[in-house]
Amino acid sequence: MGQIIIQGFLLSGLYALIAVGFTMIFSVGRVLNLAYGVYIMLGGYVYFVAVQMMSLPKVPSFLFAALAGVIFGLLTYQLLVKRLQSDPIAVEIATLILAVVMQAAIIVIFSPSPRSMWPLVPGVIYVYDVAVLKNILLATVVSWVVLGGLMVFVRKTHTGRAIRAVSMDPKGAVISGIDPQRINLITWGLSGALGAIAGVFFATYTQLDPGMWVFPLITAVAVVIVGGIGSIVGSLIAAHIIGFMETITTTLIAAELRGVFTMLLIIFVLVVAPKGLFGKAEL
Amino acid sequence: MCLLPLVVSTGTLRIFIFANFLAIFAMSWDILSGRTGYISFGHPFLIGIAGYTTAMLTYHLGWPLYTTIPIAVVATMIGGTLFFLPALRTRGTYFALVTLAFMEVMYHSMQVVQPKLTGGTRGLSGLPTLVSGAIPNYYLSFLVMFAIGVGLWLLIRTRLGIALDAIRMDEDAVRSSGLNTTRLKLFAFMVSAMVAGIGGALYIHYLGSIAPRGIFEINFLFTILVAALLGGAGSIVGPIIGAFFLTFLLELLRPYIPGAARYLIYGVIALVLYYYAPKGIYSFVELLRIRLTGLSQAKKND
Repeated sequence: MGQIIIQGFLLSGLYALIAVGFTMIFSVGRVLNLAYGVYIMLGGYVYFVAVQMMSLPKVPSFLFAALAGVIFGLLTYQLLVKRLQSDPIAVEIATLILAVVMQAAIIVIFSPSPRSMWPLVPGVIYVYDVAVLKNILLATVVSWVVLGGLMVFVRKTHTGRAIRAVSMDPKGAVISGIDPQRINLITWGLSGALGAIAGVFFATYTQLDPGMWVFPLITAVAVVIVGGIGSIVGSLIAAHIIGFMETITTTLIAAELRGVFTMLLIIFVLVVAPKGLFGKAEL
Repeated sequence: MCLLPLVVSTGTLRIFIFANFLAIFAMSWDILSGRTGYISFGHPFLIGIAGYTTAMLTYHLGWPLYTTIPIAVVATMIGGTLFFLPALRTRGTYFALVTLAFMEVMYHSMQVVQPKLTGGTRGLSGLPTLVSGAIPNYYLSFLVMFAIGVGLWLLIRTRLGIALDAIRMDEDAVRSSGLNTTRLKLFAFMVSAMVAGIGGALYIHYLGSIAPRGIFEINFLFTILVAALLGGAGSIVGPIIGAFFLTFLLELLRPYIPGAARYLIYGVIALVLYYYAPKGIYSFVELLRIRLTGLSQAKKND
């Protein structure tokens, strides 16, 4: 029982990070980035290459992975999204195609089979008599630190406030002298970084696999649907609901059914309360 | 097209058969997503329902095909509606991901839930085929594709079709003119599910086997989508053109590039093509037609 509570809590932290990285782009650019899962995948693979194939030390590798996410995010925006921005459907499709292309690229470079990654911090620590992998604990701590940093950034810095402005009202932001293109660029880069960071941990939590970009994407969507659009608190709470439910499912029922309850929850929320828990608008 | 089997080899014919089926799936996708703008990533899910229903009924119960196939189609429509109805509450953008979630979860659950019935990870094989041999299958698939194409084309000409197009352009406007958009979407969806069901059931019996991998898969989804999009979403001919174009593109690349890299190149080509022509080949053709035949034709098209 304690196992479930603690594991659930830890997983939820990671999911919160994943969800926030995803919704940033939607709030600011009003487009869905279906290639978001790719940042997660990239983060994992880049870290893998750096640490396990090139034997680089962990911290630089980690930063390197985050950088890969940033670069990929920026490139995606510059090359792909900018031109198609007026048509959100086109962006969705283009990013999906991109994701599939990246999956194919990973298959070509590495191989179709999944790989296990070494944990960032090996070993187990005991929290209230429950055995917890140090790696997962680190993941959660880092997730919360990053989220906290993000909140500070968004509230206190000029750029952060500009991002909020654009997400509230793009036209008003322009009138206030903000350059929406620049903000979009920054947001995409930031989203890439967040995704990549989450990805490094996510990969150690599960496995490296060319198809791993799909599941986090679905999780992020679930968090947004359940928590409601435009609400950070909602996302955090939803991340915990989903994190706990998944942990319960995998521990007590079957590991493969991991996503089933998430999906049922999505359906349930959509039917009963389409605005989500704290949503300000219907999706 | 009818005389094709007389001039090409069996191997090429099989490529055409695949293209025909892809065209059916692409049209089915397009009727919903291309027309209303609600991008569905769950079509493999629908096709899978049809496939598994007919496969399980023939494999375990030995029922004849002319009963299992219609049952499969109905199952697809019912099952699909159950899942998609709540999803329709999400506006366009999240709809895509929710439907993607369905497909992914199906992939995992099909492997685990009741493996004796569904065949688990390996699936079921040795299913009876409707007709055997490349030539009869070609005619069958072509006929079905053609029939569906004509049927859908007639549907689009009705006011229903126009309303669906309008939803893509501006759903709120449609709603404020008094039409019940939910019912319209549902209708589009049921047509889409029906076509997907027909295609799915027939396809499985052409292949003779079914397994989670290959049906509930991103690549399959990707192929259908790209076929419809590159060909020209929102039209009837578009998906058909796209399906053939894509199938032949893949076959063309086969001798030059080994296995995995092929999908990469193919994906990159798709991306580049989509980037420069999001409206697809068909729109390009339309443009040419208008340019060449002058304004009067364009006026007639309005």
